Amino acid sequence: MFLLTIVNITAQQTPASKQAEPISIEGATAHLGNGEVIENSLVMFREGEIIFVGSSKTKIARIGRIIKANGKHIYPGFIAANSTLGLVEVDAVKASSDVRETGIMNPHIRSIIAYNAESKVVESMRPNGVLMAQITPRGGTISGTSSVVQLDAWNWEDASLKNDDAIHMNWPSSFTSGRWWLGEDPALKPDKNYINKTQKIVSFFRDAKNYLKEPNSIKNLPFSSTKGLFLGSQKLFIHASGQREITDAVTMAKDLGINNIVLVNGHEAEKVSSLLVKHNIPVLLERPHRNPESEDHAYDYTYTIAKTLTDLGILVGIGMEGQMERMNTRNLPFYAGTFAAHGLERENAVKLITNNAAKILGIDDTVGTLEVGKDATLFISEGDALDMRGNILTEAFIQGRKISLESHQTKLWKRYSNKYKTE
Amino acid sequence: MIDGTGKHLTAGIVDEHSHIAASAINEGGHNSTAEVTIEDVVDPTDINIYRNLSGGTTSIQILHGSANPIGGRSAIIKLKWGENAENLIYENSPKFIKFALGENVKQSRSNTSYRFPQTRMGVEQVFTDYFQRAKEYDLIKKSGQPYRKDLEMETLAEILNKERYISCHSYVQSEINMLMKVAEKFNFNVNTFTHILEGYKVADKMKEHGVGGSTFSDWWAYKYEVIDAIPYNAAIMHNAGVTVAINSDDREMSRRLNQEAAKTVKYGGMSELEAWKMVTINPAKLLHIDNRVGSIKVGKDADVVLWSDHPLSIYAKAEKTIIEGKIYFDIKDDERKRAAIKLEKAKLINLMLKEKMGGGKTQLPKKRIDRNFHCDTKEI
Repeated sequence: MFLLTIVNITAQQTPASKQAEPISIEGATAHLGNGEVIENSLVMFREGEIIFVGSSKTKIARIGRIIKANGKHIYPGFIAANSTLGLVEVDAVKASSDVRETGIMNPHIRSIIAYNAESKVVESMRPNGVLMAQITPRGGTISGTSSVVQLDAWNWEDASLKNDDAIHMNWPSSFTSGRWWLGEDPALKPDKNYINKTQKIVSFFRDAKNYLKEPNSIKNLPFSSTKGLFLGSQKLFIHASGQREITDAVTMAKDLGINNIVLVNGHEAEKVSSLLVKHNIPVLLERPHRNPESEDHAYDYTYTIAKTLTDLGILVGIGMEGQMERMNTRNLPFYAGTFAAHGLERENAVKLITNNAAKILGIDDTVGTLEVGKDATLFISEGDALDMRGNILTEAFIQGRKISLESHQTKLWKRYSNKYKTE
Repeated sequence: MIDGTGKHLTAGIVDEHSHIAASAINEGGHNSTAEVTIEDVVDPTDINIYRNLSGGTTSIQILHGSANPIGGRSAIIKLKWGENAENLIYENSPKFIKFALGENVKQSRSNTSYRFPQTRMGVEQVFTDYFQRAKEYDLIKKSGQPYRKDLEMETLAEILNKERYISCHSYVQSEINMLMKVAEKFNFNVNTFTHILEGYKVADKMKEHGVGGSTFSDWWAYKYEVIDAIPYNAAIMHNAGVTVAINSDDREMSRRLNQEAAKTVKYGGMSELEAWKMVTINPAKLLHIDNRVGSIKVGKDADVVLWSDHPLSIYAKAEKTIIEGKIYFDIKDDERKRAAIKLEKAKLINLMLKEKMGGGKTQLPKKRIDRNFHCDTKEI
């Protein structure tokens, strides 16, 4: 199927205007995002809000523009957690990078104000169904404060769905490796400084807690920014891997009275699952399209882990951290697909990037499922959106606004396809 | 006798651009290193060979990295896990060499580099100069006069005599066009442009020159030279008549080339058959091994894969990967292997504990990190 129609092509895709007329989508298979599927569905939304989700056999008046979607699929907008979209434009060009601030304890550093809502990379997410993302700083021991955005906006202010949703912390590894390029032994060995490093983190949070107890004439920005963690109004995303590291990090947080925790990456989480279940700690897995760490790991270790943790009762989502993470974020549906290929039931795989992600990011009151009262942030796909061949979007909406599915890349596609046709 | 009811059988996947199974990848000491060869450093113990099999890949070209405009010769191997290095390499292997263009050869990411070339302009001169010298070397050699044998010149002369093919790492349209012109000046053509992310911009010229394109399905935005890279590249080049392959360039995607091929269905509307060809017969053609592999045909090597589902489906798993009639990966056998590893691990731990409790010497735990080679991995 080759598209030659030239849709409204502008220099940067113009963000969509508010929903003017209501919309009714008839006949598609609706994947609600909570595990349920409605065949031959009817979904209606007006003024940015979903007002009906059910069978198209229901005797109810269709409102506004009717989209006949027989044979197609509707999904809630996919949500990319732990991403850095919009903070770097070209990885190798330092001047375009705003993802890593200098310093080690930077809870006060906020990603939202550096988020480029017009990034060409962000724009390339939408045609794949990725409509929302958590944008976080990286680096240091405490990287900073993230925010959640929707991906069709003029500026960061308009993009924001939830400002300052979490603070991200990188728990040190208990192993360290030599710098092979300086002739040191490159093998991993236990880090003699592990205890020291973790003590520094504990001290930082203790000092912050003490600082917050009393009014202070001298303002300390890093300490002030941690207030929400102790009140439970803000989450602590602990990036940790390894049985020991996860246990130490979670224990530290609980001891300090930080209760709203999410575990990120969480390599070996299956070995400490009882701790995670006890404290209701969800896990954001690394993407399955990566190699297993050890030579003796099963070849499909990174594919089966979602099922393993889900079966243990853990709330699982997918995080974007890794090689070329920004441009690869558009492969989010296929990461879920791979988890589905290896044991996880298909609608549970859809959940990873819809309802589970929404819950983990604390935005499930407005998005994450096709549900009456929630934002009309959803899309229609020709086929199964978790399969490369089926993930072909025909229309997509964010808060009821019909968004452009064009991008810098589709423009070049059309320009050069036309070049060869007219030569 | 294998029961394939309900399953899909295909030819084994061929990866035109890989860096696994080698103990070194970039001789970056000089801007031309045609004298080195990957065949000297093939590492048959690399676990990635096994993992590639689990994704249905059966033949790969291990390419030299992209540190230099003229790189080293490559190795084309079958992923016969368990064999030694000699037995992996194709008999009477077609001869290939890696060339490279763009930011890597200009050493753009180094603050201290001053090696010629520092711009794309200099790259053209490197090629012209070396080919000219190789031409002169070859003339002396053929004339019967005494000459000093030079491995580097021998290799470059092979290219001029159309005995060795070039696989060239390339990104932007200007440099792609440049190399085609240089080759034409010396009366040969480039065999394959690899990466070729702006190939879609000069697909007509590529077709005319007779060069193939081996590309990523959807990578972009990682370097300045790929800001115009689009996932529709494969489809556009294909539609212009260029032989297109989808490659991995890394040990992660090389296990999922069936999925990467499927992306051309989504991006550019390729038919499923054309998409599948991009990881089987097309790379085989580009590597000149299509007389042996790339499709299921009487007379060809029995390199086949049995899939649980349509191979382009995200849900497909390779259940059996067979090379020359022998099963090298079997999903059921893999379960047994895992159990065996677990048992062996437990035994080793118990032995260690026994030693310790018997008063033996102990040491802190150590773990080797495996190097993940890419086009720009440097040894220095």
